[in-house]
Amino acid sequence: MSFLSGEHMTGGYGGGANILEDCTITVDRGEIAVVVGPNGAGKSTAMKAIFGMLDLREGCVRLDGEDITALSPQARVRKGMGFVPQTANVFTSMTVEENLEMGAFIRDDDISETMAQVFALFPILEEKRGQPAGELSGGQRQQVAIGRALMTRPQLLMLDEPTAGVSPIVMDELFDRII
Amino acid sequence: MEDVTNAAILILNFLFVPGLTYGCQLALGALGVTLVYGILRFSNFAHGETMSFGAMICILVMWWLQSLGVSIAPLPTVLLALPVGIAATVLACLLMDRWVYRFYRRQKSPPVTLLVASIGLMFLLHGGIRFAIGPDDRVVGDGARFIFNAREFRHATGLSEGLAFKTSQGITIVVTVLLVAALFWFLNRTRAGKSMRAFSDNEDLALLSGINPDRVVMITWVLTGILATIAGTLYGLDKSYKPFVFLQLLLPIFAAAIVGGLGNPLGAIAGGFVIAFSEVSITFAYRKFVAYLVPESWEPEGLLQLLSTDYKFAVSFVILVLVLLIRPTGIFRGKVI
Repeated sequence: MSFLSGEHMTGGYGGGANILEDCTITVDRGEIAVVVGPNGAGKSTAMKAIFGMLDLREGCVRLDGEDITALSPQARVRKGMGFVPQTANVFTSMTVEENLEMGAFIRDDDISETMAQVFALFPILEEKRGQPAGELSGGQRQQVAIGRALMTRPQLLMLDEPTAGVSPIVMDELFDRII
Repeated sequence: MEDVTNAAILILNFLFVPGLTYGCQLALGALGVTLVYGILRFSNFAHGETMSFGAMICILVMWWLQSLGVSIAPLPTVLLALPVGIAATVLACLLMDRWVYRFYRRQKSPPVTLLVASIGLMFLLHGGIRFAIGPDDRVVGDGARFIFNAREFRHATGLSEGLAFKTSQGITIVVTVLLVAALFWFLNRTRAGKSMRAFSDNEDLALLSGINPDRVVMITWVLTGILATIAGTLYGLDKSYKPFVFLQLLLPIFAAAIVGGLGNPLGAIAGGFVIAFSEVSITFAYRKFVAYLVPESWEPEGLLQLLSTDYKFAVSFVILVLVLLIRPTGIFRGKVI
């Protein structure tokens, strides 16, 4: 039994045509899965379907054996899922520290330890903690975005093109840190 | 030298103090508009009437208190009625959201649909208010009228020009400073306030962070109700309360919010003062001011008034058009409409 499984997902936005047709994704615990495909193949859409941001007409999504198809995105966050969208993935008008705080919004316990872990992973963020995230470079923004998603201590982290618009050197570094 | 002092006092008395007071009232009104725009993403045309509703409840409670002989002189009795007015207005805002706006939000209607719905609510509220309290002009202030008046000032300083400071002006400025400080503390320091800013910044990402949209919307309406009631009551206290005025007041309030940058609270405050001071200084008659500064034979015959006060709303309209043409994001880079 895999940890995450999206089975026979079929759906599209609103009343429009099906964008996803009978798509099945399964990931085991501790596994790193990569979805590869050309532009417009539906990679992002499949991720959105798993996160509940697409109206599924058929199929279901299971997390750790539990059917979560009917849950809203914010309810899935509480189940331990984290998602970094491809674009608009930071709160541009808020500081780096506030971005991380918002990432941990659902937690009522002390978040300083997790924040220290994120800062240890991405030291540049600690330096720029008081700066609005909108003023950072592309690579630094991506680090904020990933850091924000890590703040909930998710069991499942989904990254949608984490290296889009980032230089190859920064990309290498980013992947080293992520993995 | 004394003439220069007199001229300065004249400006202070008839232009600066009234402009500052009016600016405070517009800023509070614009803050409500800008909060709703930032979170719910539509221009709330019912905001002027929400202010009117809050002020009306305060006046009704004030009359009841006065009939019981309750007084906090030298402060006006209406201040005692504020908590009741705020509670009633917050409740009205939440009910309007529940019965009207929530339906369109769930449908994911475009902002213009919500805007038109708010215009409907504006007329509904306006009719209801005129039905309840009547269309007449009401004097709200009681207690001491002045903190110091023109005669006392002349006596104390020996100048020929007087400076008066009304109780209502003092209350307006003090209350605005306290309220704005509290609002910014809430938005920047508390978890609920930060979640509002996050929601306004990037709605999808806020959902992905587990922020509950219904709660954010509810807090927004509570804040809007508080701001609207206080703004409406202060305006009524300073001038007088007349339901019709709030239909007209909507224009300078929107102008203030847009000039400052829609969705930006700091911009709403700046915009409020820009609009207020433009309006007051353009409709001000400068004859006496000039007469103090030039030799007697040069004294102007006309009023030296750029625009009659009848046209004061044209000022905010012109500023609004200029801002939309030249810098649509407003002074503080709000959202483009």
